[in-house]
Amino acid sequence: MRCYIDSVVTAQDVATDIKLLIPDAGLRRRMSRVIKSAVTTAVECVGGTEGIDALDAIITATGWGCLADSEKFLRNMIVEHEQLLNPTPFIQSTFNTVGGQIALLRHNHCYNVTYVNRSHSFEDALLDAMMRIADGESCNVLVGAFDEQTPSQHRIMERMGAFRTVADGEGAVFARLTAQRSEQSVAQVTAIDFLCQSLTVEQCRERYATRADATVVYNGYAKYGLFPTSAAYTFAEAVRLVQQGESEVVVYNEYFGAAPAVFRVQCIG
Amino acid sequence: MEQLVQELKEHLIEELNLEEITPEDIDAAAPLFGDGLGLDSIDALEIILILEKYYGVKLANSAEAKPVFYSVNSLAEYIMQNRK
Repeated sequence: MRCYIDSVVTAQDVATDIKLLIPDAGLRRRMSRVIKSAVTTAVECVGGTEGIDALDAIITATGWGCLADSEKFLRNMIVEHEQLLNPTPFIQSTFNTVGGQIALLRHNHCYNVTYVNRSHSFEDALLDAMMRIADGESCNVLVGAFDEQTPSQHRIMERMGAFRTVADGEGAVFARLTAQRSEQSVAQVTAIDFLCQSLTVEQCRERYATRADATVVYNGYAKYGLFPTSAAYTFAEAVRLVQQGESEVVVYNEYFGAAPAVFRVQCIG
Repeated sequence: MEQLVQELKEHLIEELNLEEITPEDIDAAAPLFGDGLGLDSIDALEIILILEKYYGVKLANSAEAKPVFYSVNSLAEYIMQNRK
């Protein structure tokens, strides 16, 4: 399985005015912070809203979903004694809101799936994208991940001791994958694997590197923060390293001791 | 009535998250749906909650919703008539 990567954008890369990226004020005003962040990242990734027309699959991933809206809805249920519940936070709290909003921007009715598998969410979305491209079901796929941190989520994780050695984090990353190499292609993703046990850096290199000079990006949580979408940030980092001249990058992520996942990004040779 | 209209405008902006709109921008006589503010069916549900939450007013008959929800003025009039 292999597919070409035409662009990768993180939420931090987005400098365009949100009103240009999401022109529909009606859609925009109902979006929470994470939805705005994820949708603008996705739109920037495809080069503007018109770029959504060309997509034949939109695959999103999130470990936590739209937390702020979920919390708002649940809090309303308690405060209002399960009466007078606002519809907007309920509608927008579902995990597939971001995928739906991207499609709604241009009424794109293509394959649209959201993976919610904790720290594996991004890798599962990536696997789906690669399989669809390998099977010829899709040739222009938007794949991405998003997660937001809220004060209550932070407090709970802090009490669990999650931030003793690693900071918290949030963000969004989207990538455009294609079946065919083009002038826009910047790298290729050539392998993905899900493991039952931890590997060391050397074991990652031995098992997954195909070139002697391969770089290993090992556990991005220390760098990007302890949140499920960190895995997607390591994907963006791998692509950036390849663009800067690395021939091959093997990425290994293991979140909270959960089963690890590995993927390999290579230059286009 | 004038104070109620102003209050309603503020609730609409807050609860419907109307970006970059101030109470002065809202024409109290203009239609809320379609033209005017361009609200939709989800906003209608939010307005029902505003009436109930802030004024204790329930819309008893859904058939009367259309004229009541026409504008900020019509909403204010309905509240005045039905507020407990």
